[in-house]
Amino acid sequence: MIRFEHVTKKYGDSVILDDLSFEIKEGEFAVLIGPSGCGKTTTLKSINRLIEPDAGHIYVNGKDIAETDPVKLRRSIGYVIQQIGLFPNMTVAQNIGVVPKRLKYEKSEILKITRELMDMVDMSYDEYGHKYPSELSGGQQQRIGVLRALAASPPIVLMDEPFGALDPMTRSSLQEEIIRLHKKLHKTFVFVTHDMDEALKLADKIIFMEGGHIIQMATPEEMLENPASDLIRSFMGKRAADSAPVQLTAADFMRPNPISVYKNRGIRECTEIMARRHIDSLLIKNDDDTYAGVVSVNSIKRSGKTTGPIGEVPLSENAVSYVTEDAMESFDKLLNSDKDYVVVLNEDDTIAGIVTKTSMAKAMADALWGDAQ
Amino acid sequence: MTMKLVLEHLYLVLLSVLFSTAVGLPLGIFAYLNRPARKVVLWASEVLQTIPALALLGMVMVLFGAGKPTVIIGLVLYSLLPIVHNTFLGLDNINPGIKEAARGMGLSKWDRLFSIELPLAFPMVFTGIRIATVTAVGVAVFATSVGGGGLGSIINQGIRTQNMRLIFSGTLTLMAMAVVFDAGMALIEKRMNRRATH
Ligand SMILES: Nc1ncnc2c1ncn2[C@@H]1O[C@H](COP(=O)(O)OP(=O)(O)OP(=O)(O)O)[C@@H](O)[C@H]1O
Ligand SMILES: [Mg+2]
Repeated sequence: MIRFEHVTKKYGDSVILDDLSFEIKEGEFAVLIGPSGCGKTTTLKSINRLIEPDAGHIYVNGKDIAETDPVKLRRSIGYVIQQIGLFPNMTVAQNIGVVPKRLKYEKSEILKITRELMDMVDMSYDEYGHKYPSELSGGQQQRIGVLRALAASPPIVLMDEPFGALDPMTRSSLQEEIIRLHKKLHKTFVFVTHDMDEALKLADKIIFMEGGHIIQMATPEEMLENPASDLIRSFMGKRAADSAPVQLTAADFMRPNPISVYKNRGIRECTEIMARRHIDSLLIKNDDDTYAGVVSVNSIKRSGKTTGPIGEVPLSENAVSYVTEDAMESFDKLLNSDKDYVVVLNEDDTIAGIVTKTSMAKAMADALWGDAQ
Repeated sequence: MTMKLVLEHLYLVLLSVLFSTAVGLPLGIFAYLNRPARKVVLWASEVLQTIPALALLGMVMVLFGAGKPTVIIGLVLYSLLPIVHNTFLGLDNINPGIKEAARGMGLSKWDRLFSIELPLAFPMVFTGIRIATVTAVGVAVFATSVGGGGLGSIINQGIRTQNMRLIFSGTLTLMAMAVVFDAGMALIEKRMNRRATH
């Protein structure tokens, strides 16, 4: 569908694309990834001739695009950019209709397409069609940006970090939508990102670039199993750790900075803190910040004391783990104790955090379903 | 008598701003589209405005003789700068993402200009027209010196006869005219900007 043959691009003396040859097949979701400045955008923009290579050929559907009229070519290739680039002087519906209108579609046909597309992303035409882009949230704007690229039903859609400027929640729901659209429409998507999680989530094929070269071109599974270079491995670093929970330590699952007080704090003050924070026990530390024990509401009640320092109440012994300890071991300690949490200490015996049953459940969920975000 | 002068003054101002827009807008677009010519066009419109208004009118008079056409040509040249500049800046300052999207979607150069760039630049162009109008109200005072009439003649007459009342009434009328144009057009501008940014 898209074929690069010995494509080279230079700016002055610096070689941006260095003898690039690869092919993207019809219907494929290809993701270009790599460090900043490696040439992803340059590669993408060569496909719709926003950038002209200095040497080599690019074929779309077997035709050399250097011989195609750029305006015609671009109308047959959808284009979505990070800055969104909706036209502020046009309504949402007019924005979506830009290319179909120029391809001389009937008005009623454009309206029908616009309605259908907007329904696909749950933005009803009646509610949003006549709004201006500035009246929409960033996520809604980029949804329209994607629809605008799809409106004339181009066989190829290019996207340059389309979700890069969105907050993580919005990004993740747009990722779901783009996957759905790809499944439904069977188009060839070429998508640029520098977020490996995004690439793994979306791609049929990941194209990893560095310094104007392709270092590896593989399916997400292949790349995870067999990264071709240390750089690719480091891009997937976080991901690899997630898929091997055995190596995780207590520190990875603890809730850091639990509420703790010094031994000489007043009992009344401590009960107030517990009431205010809705907790039924407090971590107690010595003057040198080392862990001393745990005081619970019950042990205070049982001691019958209402005044004096908290240190005079008998401390209970929760199980203790160190931050470097295997997470499995601290989970075991938690399961074998009658307490709600295991106290996690730093090497110098100061308090680092607590591991609760919730931390454990989250760890299990991650292991079972992968990164649950 | 005075009403006639007011209308004459208005006529000079409006006609010259009209011509000035007709010339300045295309020049601004030209400067935007043609990089090599850009410097020359912007520089020339700037130089025109550094010439003292009276001197400029004098030079035009030498070429075209005394009368209204001379006044209008002079005023047009003089108010070109804000219109040319604002047109250029309005077009040049459009968010590059919008321009790239338009190009990437297959809009031709002129299509981009008329469907997207000019509509987005228009509030800025209109600011230029407002500045040009207010300037023209003041500069048109010199019209009387090159046989063009207008409110300048009242002030001139006041100076000649040392009639303070006459000088005042002429000046106040001019100030009122400038303020009305400025405020009225600023109001329209505000409307446009509100629509542009909703
Ligand atoms: N017009 C230009 N003139 C000179 N150098 C350029 C130009 N455009 C891009 N470059 C250089 O080409 C290289 C590749 O740019 P490109 O935009 O393709 O990178 P990228 O992989 O998309 O990076 P990013 O992740 O930061 O977007 C960069 O080093 C950049 O500085
Ligand atoms: Mg880029």
